[in-house]
Amino acid sequence: MKNQDQKIKLRVLVLTILTMFFLFPVSDLNGQDKKLNYGNTTDELVPYGRFQKAYKNFFDDVQPFTGAGREKVPPTDLTEVRIGFLGPLEGSILTPLGIQMLQGASFAIEEANNKGGYNGIPFKLMPHNDVGLWGAAANEVVKMNDEKVWAFLGSIDDINTHVALRVALKLEIPMVNSGDPDPTLTETRIPWMIRNIADDRQSSYALVNHIYREKKHSRIAVLRANNRYGRVGIMEFRDAALRYGFPLVLEIRYNDGEIDFATQIERMIKSSPDAVVLWGNAKETALIINQMRQMGMEQPVYGSDRLMSKELLEIAGENAEGLVTTCQYNPTLDEPNLVAFNKNYNERYGMEPDVFAAHAYDGMNLIIEAIHKAGLNRALIRDLLTDHKTFQGYQGITGELILDPSWNDIGSIWMTEVRDGKFDFFPTPPLISDEQENKKSTP
Amino acid sequence: MKNNNRFFQKNIKVLSLILLSVFLSGFSISKQDKSFQNDLEDNQAKPVEISSRVSPETGSDIKDEAQQMPVYGNWETFTVKDGLPADKAYCVRIDGDRVLVGTSAGLAVYENETWKTYTAEDGLAHNGVLSIDVSELTGDVWLGTLGGLTRWSAGRFETFTQFNSGLANDVIYTVICDGKDVWVATGGGAGSYDTYTREWGIYTERNAPMHEPWTYGVCAGGGKIFIAAWGGGVIEYTKETKQFRDYVDPDGEMEIDLFPDDGVIHDITTGVTFADDILWVATYFGLSRYDGTRWKGYLDHDSGLVSNFINFLKADGPVVWLCTDLGLSSFNGETWVTYRKNENNKKGKIIITEGENTKEISSTTSISHEFVIGVDTQDDVVWIATSKGVSRGEILKDLTAGL
Repeated sequence: MKNQDQKIKLRVLVLTILTMFFLFPVSDLNGQDKKLNYGNTTDELVPYGRFQKAYKNFFDDVQPFTGAGREKVPPTDLTEVRIGFLGPLEGSILTPLGIQMLQGASFAIEEANNKGGYNGIPFKLMPHNDVGLWGAAANEVVKMNDEKVWAFLGSIDDINTHVALRVALKLEIPMVNSGDPDPTLTETRIPWMIRNIADDRQSSYALVNHIYREKKHSRIAVLRANNRYGRVGIMEFRDAALRYGFPLVLEIRYNDGEIDFATQIERMIKSSPDAVVLWGNAKETALIINQMRQMGMEQPVYGSDRLMSKELLEIAGENAEGLVTTCQYNPTLDEPNLVAFNKNYNERYGMEPDVFAAHAYDGMNLIIEAIHKAGLNRALIRDLLTDHKTFQGYQGITGELILDPSWNDIGSIWMTEVRDGKFDFFPTPPLISDEQENKKSTP
Repeated sequence: MKNNNRFFQKNIKVLSLILLSVFLSGFSISKQDKSFQNDLEDNQAKPVEISSRVSPETGSDIKDEAQQMPVYGNWETFTVKDGLPADKAYCVRIDGDRVLVGTSAGLAVYENETWKTYTAEDGLAHNGVLSIDVSELTGDVWLGTLGGLTRWSAGRFETFTQFNSGLANDVIYTVICDGKDVWVATGGGAGSYDTYTREWGIYTERNAPMHEPWTYGVCAGGGKIFIAAWGGGVIEYTKETKQFRDYVDPDGEMEIDLFPDDGVIHDITTGVTFADDILWVATYFGLSRYDGTRWKGYLDHDSGLVSNFINFLKADGPVVWLCTDLGLSSFNGETWVTYRKNENNKKGKIIITEGENTKEISSTTSISHEFVIGVDTQDDVVWIATSKGVSRGEILKDLTAGL
């Protein structure tokens, strides 16, 4: 009898638990598909998110390409399969970066040709310089179209890449960007380009988290390049800092090629910052750091991805110690493909590959693989590059490619700190939410 | 106690079934709630009523129900098979009795039911012809190409490039004639050419309130020039005062539209057109309308606009024509009429929307392709340039759209 009672009680208990389990969490189960915010943005960093829900989020869905072209029959008389390249190859302060990018892309082409090219037809890279008359990039993409490239890789400079992208849409040429971190590039809704390098939004979030939440700074002065890289790059940092409750105490600029920054540094000193963020190219930034130390500024320095450069270490020397930057990949990882690339590239070109070489290598490999899978048809190559299946999670030497609906690479990035004259890499820590921050600060 | 136990024993299975039913119905109700919530969140929900499927070309019931917008039909399509140099057409311009079409392989002229092609070999700056306009003063044809600007005058082609003129860039997305002046929107800035003095003007971020140097569209109207500045919204130039001002997205964010109707929908603008004192602005994120005082936005989820991705637009009186990646929409401020292809056959469909009400009607003929890139109208005829061919439609006499 007692056993019978217990059995009944047990049954009722099990039934109640099952009921509770199934009934109540249903809405929660459905709620688990809560959409992530665009661009890995945390709730507190969503634009106007604390005050107003946006009427329309533009990048919740994918912009399809509905035009004609998929029906085009591939040519049968080709002697080479042409792939375009657009980059700063001469006449620009970005030329050293462009050369690395060209070498990375060429290296991928050479490897592909050593494996037989495209069905026995060799790939041929068609390099174009994007520096020149106004809007040179537009004219160069037209030339690529006349050369009948199947896709192209480019570029680094924000303006030139934007200009090229617009023509790529008009001419319907698939484009892979491996060197321009301008967040607005993929915010144009043009379904002909993917980017395989993390953008300045990701760098900014990593820096803001590190500077304000981990290092507990509150007064940040910014000195940035007076170009589009500096202007657009710092934009997400400035907005994120403001949304954390720390408006910048100062934001001032310098021109590319300047060598004396005393005026700007004096203004920074007067603003009494407890840390400084520098956003620009390596050479000028190294000179700024040297002059800051000379003028007595001992505050910690943080900076953008382009500072992770041998040139910066050579110019700034000991003054660079403690500098923290972001980097879109970790070249020191002990991954077999990366190690082999570093070694082979060094043997081939007599120099270490930089971030532009590595991402160009990955970007060109994406194009080559897309051509292999889709065949010689631009629209079909585009379809594969943008389908969020074929290359989603692609493991390149620079890490895992994660494309969001705007085809921006939101995969994880790295941070570096200069220690003993070298860049030490560490993974970007998870962003600390307001809730976590408040818990930490509550005794 | 014993009875109670028996009661539980007897009814536990029944109870289980009831609870299982509740669970299952709860699951489905919850699912419905979720989707409803999503729709509300995304503002995507809009009931589509398909109340009529009658061909307008063979006796339509539109007339009875529609009183506002003209409806076009009897679509005739032209491709390479009919004499076009390429199927991909970028633009179309009606010029009296002839029609000029810019394609990826040259300029095609349709006259007396025959196509004739002109290419770079004949003197065009480039075979890719992106934009065409005709001077009302001289009858000269101006062609914006992928390799410069070409003037076709008295049978002769004259080309302007960065190397022999004041053009900012050789990729000419849009060209318009405004009296004696020719305006262009290029990949490196906007430009103007005074055909009397032969003076060029270049307008970029250095001398105009543009965020960026590249431009995409230009139009004239109301004593002003309007420039669609890619990434910089709309730039307005008042000819009398030679002053610029800009209209940008007030929320300043690329990924959202914070409030509807607060200004131009997005800074990535693709085209501008002006008629009846109304400025219309195309973007890849929707349509904006400006009456000089107020902005109004139209998106595919809150209006009859068939797609937010607008390649080109052109206003003709009170009606604006919108070339999208999902068909051709037209709008007069109240009624939308959209022309699409039927996926299942060669027929077309006409979608009429007023407010929350939508009606879809099938038509026996169709536009050549839904990816529409250019449009022009004159009298009772509309021509469109598409990703695969050009189409000519005509007003279906005595028929107007309304619900």
